[in-house]
Amino acid sequence: MALIRNKKRHGLIALSLILPFLAIFALVFAYPLYEVIRLSFTDAPLIGEGNWIGLENYIRLFSDRLFYISIKNNAYFVVLTVIPTTMIAMVIALAVNRLSGRWQALALVLFFTPYVLPVSVVTQIWAWMLDFQFGVLQPVFAFFTGKPVPVFKNPYWVLPSIAVVTIWWTNGFNVLLILAGLRNIPTDLYEAASLDGATRRQLFARITWPLLWPVTALVLTLQLILQLKLFDQVYLLSEGGPFNSSYVLLLMVYREAFQLNHGGYAAAISLILFLLIAVVSVLQYQLLRIGKGKDT
Amino acid sequence: MHFRKIALATALSLSAAIGVATPAFAQQTVTWWDFLSGGDGVRMKALITQFNEEHPDIQIKGTTLEWGVPFYTKVRTSAAVGQGPDVMTYHLSRLPLGLSEGVLTPITDADLENAGLARDDFFAAAEKAAEGADGTLYAVPFDIHSIVLYYNASYLEGSRFLDDQGKLTGIESVADFEEAMQVAADNGSQTPLTYATGDDGGVYRVFYTLLSQQGGTLISDDGEILPGDSREKAVKAVETMTKWQSEGWQPEQALYEASVALFTSGKSAFQLNGVWEVPTMKDLAEAEQLGFDWGAVEVPKLMDTRTTWADSHAFAIPTQGKDEMDPEKRKAVMTVIGWMEKHAIAWAAAGHIPAYKPVAESTEFAEMEPNATYSSLADAATYDPRSEIAGVASPVYDSAINIISPAMHGYLSPEDAVEQMTSELQSRMR
Repeated sequence: MALIRNKKRHGLIALSLILPFLAIFALVFAYPLYEVIRLSFTDAPLIGEGNWIGLENYIRLFSDRLFYISIKNNAYFVVLTVIPTTMIAMVIALAVNRLSGRWQALALVLFFTPYVLPVSVVTQIWAWMLDFQFGVLQPVFAFFTGKPVPVFKNPYWVLPSIAVVTIWWTNGFNVLLILAGLRNIPTDLYEAASLDGATRRQLFARITWPLLWPVTALVLTLQLILQLKLFDQVYLLSEGGPFNSSYVLLLMVYREAFQLNHGGYAAAISLILFLLIAVVSVLQYQLLRIGKGKDT
Repeated sequence: MHFRKIALATALSLSAAIGVATPAFAQQTVTWWDFLSGGDGVRMKALITQFNEEHPDIQIKGTTLEWGVPFYTKVRTSAAVGQGPDVMTYHLSRLPLGLSEGVLTPITDADLENAGLARDDFFAAAEKAAEGADGTLYAVPFDIHSIVLYYNASYLEGSRFLDDQGKLTGIESVADFEEAMQVAADNGSQTPLTYATGDDGGVYRVFYTLLSQQGGTLISDDGEILPGDSREKAVKAVETMTKWQSEGWQPEQALYEASVALFTSGKSAFQLNGVWEVPTMKDLAEAEQLGFDWGAVEVPKLMDTRTTWADSHAFAIPTQGKDEMDPEKRKAVMTVIGWMEKHAIAWAAAGHIPAYKPVAESTEFAEMEPNATYSSLADAATYDPRSEIAGVASPVYDSAINIISPAMHGYLSPEDAVEQMTSELQSRMR
């Protein structure tokens, strides 16, 4: 008897412990997600109810040229940022790791400061520095290309420029993650390898790189998710132009919902983006794990 | 029993007190939203203050929000739940989208009567732009604003483009205008023509004016983008603007403020910009900081007909969620609108042309320069196409910065630009 009652009580306690989480999860995640899915099958405006129109939004979306342009730009931006930012973060982390004490703290502060800034400040700083008429960086462009370049108005420069701004802004966090990973590698391994006569290159290739891989994979995945959600920088720096060469999916969601009052269509696009991010990031993480399966 | 008696007595005395007080002191607070900043904002705030001083029974509580998409998004969401303003400024070019969103209430003849106004008090084009498809009025036009051609007379001295009084003359075609720009360039004007070549509004207004002057249609009534030969006319408009760019007559990628500064600092001989910059010029001239004689005229007939892009600021009353506005309050709102219309001469000082004819035809306005010189444009103005994707901060504006501006700067041929613009705008239609 007592055992059964105890089991029951255990169950109740467990339930009461997870209930707050379940309630909040349902309220701020599950319910909105359900609403987005439902909305995406209607012609609802931004506020208020719409009519059920079945798959029409999706049919329209898959024949929308702008949708494919946006996906292509999203993909291009991912290529421009994810691996470069991880590599830069690794180089910085390795360098910072060799410093000690106050110097290390100072270097970390320097690299982390941009991450603290809000996006509007970041874009404002870079918009001024790269301003076509008065930007302090324009002489550099003039030196290399012969004339000033309106980077956010030029179809070839726009996404790479936004990528540079984004990497500058968010790199500090990746440095921190990789540094934490580096500190987790026991020093005995390096000592033992050194005694066996391993060179610096070998130390990195045989110890640091494989043992750091779980963190690297994490950084790559986090970056992939983050960069697919690109919106603020594009909205503030180029508004998707020139001729859509920086148009991305979230900008499309914003324009459809807030400018054109097409809530249902915007919901369909954001759902596709959600699925895209989910699938791609899970796929990438699994691939990275398989690739280095023996270490994880 | 006892309690009920007291309650009844209290209720009676209360209602008596209110009953007595209502006619004399019932003060209506009118919540007002606008998007007017800069010189416009200063003038509108002065008008509101004056109104509040003259009307102890009606007080306007004004809030200024950010122009463009933020303003209209806020209106839409707040009106849907009944938390919106009682009266707001509204661009007539934005009316079609407003109607499809269902945020505007009809302005009835009774409303107009309460304001002391009538429909034919307004310029026909503005009044028509304020109507829904069935002829119902949804807004009260306040002004007509357009782009005008500002000029710096010092660059044109001795040429055929100034008459004996030093006023601009002799521009009747693109060729004339280009000749005038060349004259200015030869006289040392760095960029003879300035407008915001790197901003949506600046590019769109010039493009739409050139298109309309050829009789082209941007969006037909049944929703076709650039129907018939309008496509070729659009190409010609973009070609013209591209030529001005490649000849170095207009600034490269100029943002709005920079484009204005080019003119005020005396580097440009001409400026194609909105009438709203008139106060800037007047103030600078008064402070003797300008250093040249300036004027502003209606955009000349450059193509086939005389017409200019125009839009109107108007007053509109949004829906109040599921509720109706209290009739007394609505009356107060209409009083506000009527008063504003009759005091529009103060608003005209911001460069605008009053939409209310009694003010626009008054001697006071006739003496107001340079407004009186260019007010003729009101009769020949072309409003934005009546479409949900046109108007202020719309996809049409976006396509100006997204497609036409890059084409002007040589990243896209005029034909490709018009092709892209057509297919893109067409895909935004529903």
